[in-house]
Amino acid sequence: MNFMSHDPLKREKEVAESFISVDLQNIKGMQFFDPHVHMTSRTTDDYQSMADAGIVGLIEPAFWLGQPRTGIDTFRDYYSSLIGWERFRASQFGIKHYCTIGLNSREANNEKLAEEVMELLPLFIYKEGVVGVGEIGFDDQTPAEEKYYRLQLELAKEANLPVQIHTPHRDKKRGTQRSMDIAIELGLDPYMVIVDHNNEETVHEVLERGFWAAFTIYPFTKMGNERMVEIVKQYGTERIMVNSAADWGISDPLAVPKTASLMKLRGINDENIRMVTYQNAITAFGQSGQIDKADFTLVKEIDQSKKFAGNTILRGGQQPRIDKSSIIIS
Amino acid sequence: MIENLFAEIAKQNVSEDAWNWLEEKSALLNKDTNATQLNAAFTAVPRKMGKQIIEISAGQAKKIDTLLTGFSIQGWTTDRLARVWLLMNLKGTEKDDYIRKIENLFKAAEMNELVALYSSLPLLAYPEAWQFRCTEGIRSNIGIVLEAIMYENPYPSKYLDEPAWNQMVLKAFFTDKNVERITGLDKRANKRLASILFDYAHERWAAHRSVNPQLWRLVGKFIDENNFSDIQKLFNDGNPSEKKAAALALSESDFMPAKNLLNQTANLKNAIQEKTLSWNSLVKEMKNFSSN
Repeated sequence: MNFMSHDPLKREKEVAESFISVDLQNIKGMQFFDPHVHMTSRTTDDYQSMADAGIVGLIEPAFWLGQPRTGIDTFRDYYSSLIGWERFRASQFGIKHYCTIGLNSREANNEKLAEEVMELLPLFIYKEGVVGVGEIGFDDQTPAEEKYYRLQLELAKEANLPVQIHTPHRDKKRGTQRSMDIAIELGLDPYMVIVDHNNEETVHEVLERGFWAAFTIYPFTKMGNERMVEIVKQYGTERIMVNSAADWGISDPLAVPKTASLMKLRGINDENIRMVTYQNAITAFGQSGQIDKADFTLVKEIDQSKKFAGNTILRGGQQPRIDKSSIIIS
Repeated sequence: MIENLFAEIAKQNVSEDAWNWLEEKSALLNKDTNATQLNAAFTAVPRKMGKQIIEISAGQAKKIDTLLTGFSIQGWTTDRLARVWLLMNLKGTEKDDYIRKIENLFKAAEMNELVALYSSLPLLAYPEAWQFRCTEGIRSNIGIVLEAIMYENPYPSKYLDEPAWNQMVLKAFFTDKNVERITGLDKRANKRLASILFDYAHERWAAHRSVNPQLWRLVGKFIDENNFSDIQKLFNDGNPSEKKAAALALSESDFMPAKNLLNQTANLKNAIQEKTLSWNSLVKEMKNFSSN
């Protein structure tokens, strides 16, 4: 495009800036951390816009892939992709990728397979960059789900890792209570447990019992971000965090920065925004000992050095930018 | 013994506590009937040993190269060195058992573990058993994994067959790697690879994309009447680096028209004879250019 600079570095910057929509200008320069997002289901365009919007790190919880797996090897390959390929893919866009590893509640109902997965888990939960056991918990609230939820809580306790709890869509309030009751019964410290997908009905009890309360900003089925603003106004920021849980459904990988932007418009101060869209998640999952904020800049610096060195791509190469406003593809 | 040297280097790069931990874990490896100790220790390494870049003396680097030609641990991190050292200490007396244990590490490896695993290939027992694994690694698109196989690693040049070797070299060009860091690059130049590289250059030219001048270091010995016009074109119409690369390729050819062409530029020919122009000087020259 004519208005773009010919200097590739300058041009890069211009292209990057043109991606931040007008709505997000008010949070420009802020850093965000999305503690729940399923990048495996997302495109490179998402990674690019997330980086542009200020997301520096994220957590990808192990979850259900939309249909049940039929064998242990697909579980192994999935876990291995979370600590391998997906981690690399994120780094190409300057985003630090962490994950939580666990057997999700739906697939806990296939008991034969679940047994095998339980044997596999110790091989993965101690890996570098694994910041917790998750997402685990209840879906249908069956006895099998409870069994494997309990076993995985024990595992997390032994490994001294945080737990990321998925709370059910149906019969949510009871499911959430039950999840917390069991965690306490097994002797977990609520401060090591992040209860996810909260809403106005569950948040009070979760916070009162000392757990972390995560909110998923997800169109139609979970929280909207206007409701989120009200939650923060009412409950403050202690032990509260926001995530996108973006996956293969209609969801928004920019939910965290968009919510920050809306909070700013609605008069919440920068420090409080920082707590719920960045710091609290890092504090909670950082109890794994696996999050180092220095890595957020490192992952970017490495990529920058690749580009500055021109043909000398040191670490596999950051993805080059394409000019999306042009119809020319070269 | 290279494991003693690695131990010495590891020791000088980490705290006493960290070193004691590693030594203790390594002693447990061979007492174990299953792989539990190996898996746990291998995974836990960065927590105990850290990930800082190691410092080694010039003497140590030279010693490594003497013990295993073409191998270097320059720029490695402490976790990578410690993991490789652990693997070197795993006894290989039971072949199937040994191979299974290491294959299982590959299957559940995260990125940095893969780097350590592929770096260790030239040091493992039963070297011929890792050929397939090495070709799998070359299929990876993770940059640091590819580099662990390609850079200063003598395994591929020693153990890969020609198709696999050619695939690796071509992939290195495709992914913009510093090909000059591939151990055995010039030694394993071959006619089939040269022909693939000419085709690759044609594709790049057709797409108006540049061609890494280092590509031509692999074709010199195979210049013939079929491909001579490409070198001619490069020599006559290329940018300064390409012209130098063409001259270097010509200097390695016994094909008469190639010799004649080189004779047309006394200054390049002399520079090559006086060794002021070489493939390596060209690498340096281009690096200086791109970082300016």
